[in-house]
Amino acid sequence: MRNRFIVLALACVAASTAFTPAVVAAAPAAKPVTHTVTIEGTQFAPASLTVNRGDTVVWVNKDPFPHTATAKGVFDSKIIAAGKSWRYKATRAGEFQYVCTLHPTMKGTLAVH
Amino acid sequence: MNSLKSVIAGAMSLAAAFAFGQTPAPASGPNDAQIAHIVVTANQVDIDAGKLAEKKGSSKEVRAFGKQMVTDHSGVNKQAVALVSKLKVKPEDNPTSQSLKSGGADNVKKLRGLKGAAFDKAYVDHEVAYHEQVLDAIDKVLVPNAKNEELKGLIVKVRPAFVAHLEHAKMIQSSLKG
Repeated sequence: MRNRFIVLALACVAASTAFTPAVVAAAPAAKPVTHTVTIEGTQFAPASLTVNRGDTVVWVNKDPFPHTATAKGVFDSKIIAAGKSWRYKATRAGEFQYVCTLHPTMKGTLAVH
Repeated sequence: MNSLKSVIAGAMSLAAAFAFGQTPAPASGPNDAQIAHIVVTANQVDIDAGKLAEKKGSSKEVRAFGKQMVTDHSGVNKQAVALVSKLKVKPEDNPTSQSLKSGGADNVKKLRGLKGAAFDKAYVDHEVAYHEQVLDAIDKVLVPNAKNEELKGLIVKVRPAFVAHLEHAKMIQSSLKG
């Protein structure tokens, strides 16, 4: 009975430690993740995205006409045709404003940490 | 410019015709079949002008913009036609479509007689006025009167493209002045 209580107590400690943010932060670099930015209605959604270095961002064009995702000097999808997508591996850290060169009202921000 | 105003007038007279007509429903504007026709016509008019600009534009910017108008408005129309056939709506001609069409024909006729910088200016000025006018029609006539949710959704979804085209045309307009 006493042994079982100790085991239970230890399990609780282990569980609570696992969820402590400090432990998460101290973990080695997170596994790369793929994020999606949907292009629809001549807008980027989400318009603002924060990712970690090494992550991949995919812009998916759901509009019936082409768009681009262009941050001058950093990345440029060129034409993303209707129904197509473009992937970018975010290797450079920084906060980048990007536009669609065809539709100057379309603006987005990609922050890479 | 007059032809552009006449489209608004056409839309208004259509609304008036419905308001004072014998239509049993409390309709005060175009029905969905007419709205579908207006959407397709509005896009086609800009495709026709764009095709001309793609060929006759003197600056690279104007030619590229004309090409983009052909691509974007063709894409929208492809989607509109697909929706209309899915909904089994038969687009119905109406005064707004007719004034859009005659306005477009007048514009193309005028543009054919111009070249060089004069062509560029006339085309871009018309694109600015045309997109402003279509946005006005979207907000005042098409969206408020569209009954079918999918038809309304399509118009709402393409609206930002018209705003983007207007901004783009204005940018080219001011660069041509410089």
